[in-house]
Amino acid sequence: MNELRKGFHEDLDEAKSELVRLAALVTEAIPRATAVLLDGDLEGADLLIRADDEMDARAIDLEERCYHILALQAPVASDLRQVIALLRMVAEVERSNDLLCNICKAARRIYGHELDPKLRGIISRMGEQAQQLYEAAIESFVQNDAAKAAAIDDMDSYLDGLQKQFVQAIFESHAAGRIDLQVAVQLAVVARFYERIGDHAVNIGERVRFVVTGWVPEHKGAERYRRFVEGTGQIPRIDDAMVPPDDSGEDAS
Amino acid sequence: MTVEEINVVRPLGLGETSGRRGDEARSVVGGRTGLFTTADLSVYYGSFRAVRNVDLSITEHEITAFIGPSGCGKTTVLRCFNRMNDLIDSARVEGIVAYHGVNLYDPDVNPVEVRRRIGMVFQKPNPFPKSIYDNVAYGPRLSGIKKRNDLDDIVERALRGAALWDEVKDRLKASGLGLSGGQQQRLCIARAVAVEPEVILMDEPCSALDPIATARIEDLMQEMKQRYTIIIVTHNMQQAARVSDRTAFFTTEINEESDRRTGVLVEFDRTETMFSSPTDERTEQYVTGRFG
Repeated sequence: MNELRKGFHEDLDEAKSELVRLAALVTEAIPRATAVLLDGDLEGADLLIRADDEMDARAIDLEERCYHILALQAPVASDLRQVIALLRMVAEVERSNDLLCNICKAARRIYGHELDPKLRGIISRMGEQAQQLYEAAIESFVQNDAAKAAAIDDMDSYLDGLQKQFVQAIFESHAAGRIDLQVAVQLAVVARFYERIGDHAVNIGERVRFVVTGWVPEHKGAERYRRFVEGTGQIPRIDDAMVPPDDSGEDAS
Repeated sequence: MTVEEINVVRPLGLGETSGRRGDEARSVVGGRTGLFTTADLSVYYGSFRAVRNVDLSITEHEITAFIGPSGCGKTTVLRCFNRMNDLIDSARVEGIVAYHGVNLYDPDVNPVEVRRRIGMVFQKPNPFPKSIYDNVAYGPRLSGIKKRNDLDDIVERALRGAALWDEVKDRLKASGLGLSGGQQQRLCIARAVAVEPEVILMDEPCSALDPIATARIEDLMQEMKQRYTIIIVTHNMQQAARVSDRTAFFTTEINEESDRRTGVLVEFDRTETMFSSPTDERTEQYVTGRFG
């Protein structure tokens, strides 16, 4: 086969590699942020927070590269899907790193407060699970593996469960007088950060499926909206309650 | 007699047999509907099979683009739709090209009538060495329209339809060859639409034009599809993506024994699908430039 547009495809491969590198940075930073939180490592917190500037700069640079590819190369088919996916994924990765910074900032705020073993155990597991999700997301992208990408959603359910457990443990710990209210609030927010990192990994997995198969991720809310419009023939007002009671416990997605 | 009336009284030159032959054509195409439907279409030049087994349906009032590498048979297939291949001595067509359910290659079909219903615009603008007016009036005159007023109306309508009227209305007697390349191509489009065809075949109509003239023709095509069905062969994939509703991708297959190349239809789908998520790996490789 005669490879045409070689330079363009090399640019595209390089953009993909850069996204993988940025996502790898996040994957490596997740256990470091967890250690910062559990060990009260203020120096480590500073390092991670400062490293976010590099993430921001490289994310913008990658976005610009994608713009240039779109403007100059008019990609189509799988090439187009990849550029579109990169634009979406880079935002997920950049935001994930912000959340790790937020965990570090929370670590500063609760510095000096002892956490009981149950809370520490769940934090540790949330960190591990978030890291596994991110690893799976990158691997599926590198390997163009739509099946692996689709499995990430299930893995995320476990992280969501841990978050709920953690919030319950916070209540118990606070009720028993082991942590004060300020620490309890900070920890609840931290749990939310881990859970959000997992969501970003799920979104990356969905974009991998889009790259490989052309399937456009359809979120539950969009599907619900379509069903509502098809069923009633009406366009609902934004404040109309569309969520049936049994779905009310779900997160917006 | 108006052009519309001529269309009614001269249905492709077919007599009593048209219904039967039409049914036959429809039955072969197996439920697929379209203004044109080809079934097992192959074209030979002498003993050489240039393109084989093409099955596709062309939808009315849409623009269908044929893309593919050189030698893939896209122009050959295009020329089957108005029997232009008849003009090449060694060319032979097998299979069916049904137009309104009538096989265009039925021996009773009058190829001249076919070409009046199904006009063509070529790669290189080819106005006659006549005035702008006479270029456009040429076809209607051949159809028997003689009255000056009728001809004036047709010429104006056709030139307006080709977005050329405002540029040439004050110099209709000037030679068509004095126009710019882009204007000449629009004059050829006006000449094609003057006989009120139903279909316009375009064989790389913009390849000799600059980007502005190309954009004019592309805009014009969008207006024209309200009235006509357009099939365009183009080497410019972005043009196919910009203008067409459906795209057919052809490629060449190499026979390893004879080392001969034969054109085949690989994939035919809505243009947005062809350029976002094509089904066939060969289409994917061609549109992304991984194969040439």
